[in-house]
Amino acid sequence: MIWKRALLLALLVITGLVIETSVLGQATLVGTKPQLLLLMTVALAMGEGPSLGAGFGFTAGLATDLMTGLPVGLTAVTYTILGYAVGTIRAQVQTPTAWLPAAMVFTGTLGGVLLYGGISLLLGQEAAGGRSLIEHSVYAACYNALLTPFLYPLVRGLGSRLRPARAMR
Amino acid sequence: MMRIFDRTRRTRLFVALLLSAAIVLVTIDYRTHGNGPLEAIGRGIMTVIGPVQQAVTRTLRPVGDFLAGFTQVPSLKAEIIKLEQENALLQQREHQVTDIARENEELRKLLGIGHRFDLKTVTVRVTGVGPSNFENTVFIDRGTAEGVRRDLPVISGEGLVGRVVEASAHSARVLLVIDPSSAVAARLASNGQTGVISGKGGEQVQFDLFNVDAPVSLQDEVLTSGYRGGVYPAGIPIGTVARLDPKGSALTRRVWVRPYVDFTGLDYLLVVTGTGATR
Repeated sequence: MIWKRALLLALLVITGLVIETSVLGQATLVGTKPQLLLLMTVALAMGEGPSLGAGFGFTAGLATDLMTGLPVGLTAVTYTILGYAVGTIRAQVQTPTAWLPAAMVFTGTLGGVLLYGGISLLLGQEAAGGRSLIEHSVYAACYNALLTPFLYPLVRGLGSRLRPARAMR
Repeated sequence: MMRIFDRTRRTRLFVALLLSAAIVLVTIDYRTHGNGPLEAIGRGIMTVIGPVQQAVTRTLRPVGDFLAGFTQVPSLKAEIIKLEQENALLQQREHQVTDIARENEELRKLLGIGHRFDLKTVTVRVTGVGPSNFENTVFIDRGTAEGVRRDLPVISGEGLVGRVVEASAHSARVLLVIDPSSAVAARLASNGQTGVISGKGGEQVQFDLFNVDAPVSLQDEVLTSGYRGGVYPAGIPIGTVARLDPKGSALTRRVWVRPYVDFTGLDYLLVVTGTGATR
């Protein structure tokens, strides 16, 4: 039932966006907000593979873009690449450790913010926060990694519902 | 083996399609300069998400406040010391203020000014903050149906907050003065020297005075200057001068201003829908 999966995916994005802009938006750590939708993209890509990771990344990125005054499509590009890359890398890991989710979220957030910031700078946008892009990405990566133990299992659980039902042969 | 290869190829094709779509969107956004169909979709999303966001924020405000407090613990000790120092200074100034208030009252009578700010306002509440770390915006719970529209100034009890950049029926997005894309015409309260305040995303905003030789010192108050056709009415307090850059060969004199408003704890705000003169 593809429409059920699409509806669930849209609900996941809206829920993530609402929590990111309301409750988590107030909880800044050294001036940086946590990037919940980015964390969700990494978690879903790890659990469900590069295809769903990229699909969720595109939808979440587009929703984020439309809620800001920043160029529409930039976050969508970043999260799509991130979802695909994380899903592909995860498929190569044979023996995952307990630290793998936090490490992937840290690296994914670091790479995602750097990629977004890099493209933004090329397009003439200035990073907020009064600090360099590298500082900015490190703070966001640390914050997301700290949230991973609490949110990762929850997102993986919800993500498993997006899995297509296998036909019995 | 063949099936795995096919699946990989299908995934790559899907990702390439998504990336192409995103690049097309970037192009459309640039070509329409933020006034095309994408902005309408954005307003649609705000209309859908706005009420949910308001409900979640109101219900979970204590949780949000707790999280905000929890993450700000390291800076609280420094804040207490700073507040104690400020308190001592304010007690000192209180005595001066009584005299100034009396003098001010007399001058008001002389000039025939009823109120310093005769503004028509709509009270709003902050329902959320922008999702990006690359932008400083907040969402409010009033929109076009309540008279809130694009380019209206937003203030708080302390001073200038920003301006409305997008409004749907019952919610709107406010660009804060600390955002890098914000620019406000401002003047020094002490001598009227004018310039432009631009956000840098941090705690302080940059103030470029047009007159390179303008006399300016620390703690000087900065207000909006207001001009015909401008967004902000004149005389709204912005902050005080916190840092002076050395005079260089630039065409403007650069100083840094600490805003009166604490942008990390915004709650109730006022959207200025008109001034007394335009009512």
